[in-house]
Amino acid sequence: MSLSKYIIRRLLIAIPVIFGVMTLTFILSRFMPGDPVLAYMREGRFDQDYYNQIYHQLGLDEPLIVQYFKYLGDILVGNWGYSQSIYKGMPVWNLIMLKLPRTADLAIFSMVIAAVLGIKAGIISATHRNKPRDTFLRGLSLIGVAVPVFFLGMLLQYTLAIANDFFPATGFKTEYYEDPPFVTGFRLIDSILSGQLYMFTDYLYHLILPVFCLSFISLAGIVRQTRSSMLEILEQDYIRTARAKGCKEKDVINVHAKKNAMIPTVTVIGLGFGGLLTGAVLTETTFGLAGLGQLLIDSITNSDYWVLNGLVFFFALVFIAVNLITDVVYGILDPRIRY
Amino acid sequence: MVYETLLEDESEKNGIKDISIRVVKWIGKNLRFLFIPASRLEELTIREIEYEMTRSKRKFIRRFKSVLTILGILLVFLMATLAIFPHWISPYTLQQALGVYTDAWGAPDALHPFGKTKFGRDVLARVIFGARTSLTVALPAIAMSVVFGVMIGVIAAYYGGWIDAVIMRIIDVFMAFPSLVLALVFVVVFSEAFGSDSTINYIMLAWGILGIPYYSRLIRGSVLQARELPYIQAARVSGAGNSRIMFKHILPNIIQPIIISMTFDIGGVILGLSGLAFLGYSDYRMIDWGNEISEGRNYFDIAPWASLWPGFFILLAVLGFMLLGDGLRDALDPRLKNL
Repeated sequence: MSLSKYIIRRLLIAIPVIFGVMTLTFILSRFMPGDPVLAYMREGRFDQDYYNQIYHQLGLDEPLIVQYFKYLGDILVGNWGYSQSIYKGMPVWNLIMLKLPRTADLAIFSMVIAAVLGIKAGIISATHRNKPRDTFLRGLSLIGVAVPVFFLGMLLQYTLAIANDFFPATGFKTEYYEDPPFVTGFRLIDSILSGQLYMFTDYLYHLILPVFCLSFISLAGIVRQTRSSMLEILEQDYIRTARAKGCKEKDVINVHAKKNAMIPTVTVIGLGFGGLLTGAVLTETTFGLAGLGQLLIDSITNSDYWVLNGLVFFFALVFIAVNLITDVVYGILDPRIRY
Repeated sequence: MVYETLLEDESEKNGIKDISIRVVKWIGKNLRFLFIPASRLEELTIREIEYEMTRSKRKFIRRFKSVLTILGILLVFLMATLAIFPHWISPYTLQQALGVYTDAWGAPDALHPFGKTKFGRDVLARVIFGARTSLTVALPAIAMSVVFGVMIGVIAAYYGGWIDAVIMRIIDVFMAFPSLVLALVFVVVFSEAFGSDSTINYIMLAWGILGIPYYSRLIRGSVLQARELPYIQAARVSGAGNSRIMFKHILPNIIQPIIISMTFDIGGVILGLSGLAFLGYSDYRMIDWGNEISEGRNYFDIAPWASLWPGFFILLAVLGFMLLGDGLRDALDPRLKNL
């Protein structure tokens, strides 16, 4: 089977899952507290006729099955409803796209840093098995997975930002700085495109603490997987061959062993992305970065259930997409899996 | 007439007692089977059994004996002690820990070694009573996800075909959401549907439900391998029914990875619980570490002890379970036997 066929098959497998996710969000949205009609007519006096009119307008008097298919159609077309209380009247899709760049920056930076450091640490702890260095690295990465991310963020915020003023405590920009002209929505890219480098560095400077927290908590899984697959591979015959023919130990590890040890690690990194999104919700709340996580919390506290519904669906979509990419990368790295 | 009903009651009671004794015996037997490999070899002579048992026990304990694992066992033991005997350990009673006093955010002194919280409550006492809350939420949640997850997974993999396909697609849907997001939505929906009186039960239920797909998928792979083995065919030839084969022949042989990841997940649920509490979804009538942190974090600069100690105890509890899980994995995983 060729790679393109493999990718197409993976895509087809994802379709029923997406439909399932839509069904689940539909069921959940019917059980959400709060009356959607009342949310629409918040202003003014309560008027039963007006209420009925909106009730009819929203299609709530139709049978559930009709509502369900309408919901599916709306979501597929990109009509994800409108915000009712936070940003009244704003389409949910636009709202998500507005907030997405911040979370994406946070998650991508953390994932890359965690992957690079985790693979490095995993290899070191495999080659120094049961030595103090191994124990130290595994202990450190386990502390990373055991510490609540908001607690770590709080500690760093207090010690490095409030007591000592090394880093900014909250927010994503210095207060009096303006936004760069909107091109992509990603602050880093926009500031470079408009040539305002001080915004670029300022934004990076604000990202350091959150990214550190988030990458620290996702380090452990990568270290553990790299370590165990490295250990397994170092026992293989072809490693002995490489050593016997006189390869340097550095080359044995970096050239012969590392590539094959990466295969299961890729899966762990991909699956860890879900944990990263969860962590991003908490990190954003701790550091006051107005991203998707913050929007999620706001939508629940303000009972803005269309936004909540859209967000939950969006998170699931991202997660499915990341799993798909992981599968494809896995297929590229390990040709055996395609057959 | 009266005599007869009395008799019936008695027999019913005996029946229940019998079932509970049988459940305890079943658990004990399986634990023995897992931890003492020679316990089922009945045809050996007494001497051989003795040899086998000392040898295997030694082997098990030797693999268990690393610094990190012992640390983990000690931490889990500490947390269990705090959760079971808080009244003996705590310097103040539960009533005193819930009372309202002057001297809010008081500094640590001889009477209050960890300082005081808002309302002048003793931090040490609240940290000790918090252990019980964490474990009483985490353990039932994990028990629920393991029991239902294992049942669903075994049934799906054993029967295969369309049952497997349907169950696996549903599981895919549930696994497409980041866990914290779905837990949040579940808690909101449950509170709406069943009244918001017992939030802590809904949190427990939410984490229990969220664990089910994970365990089903974990056990499914092992069942798929195990059901092709000769001893299953032998069992079927000797006339065992489907449920007997599933739960008596297959399950005890493949439950090890479940036990390992269960240990990890107890830590995970404690973290998730504190994360929800940090976002404001918790029962404020209960003493809970996450609650303490979210209450104290806005006053971190004047009273760091009020949120430092609870956070530290979350770290210790989760770290304990993670280390224990790591050690169990090293000791039980047959692939690591030669390493």
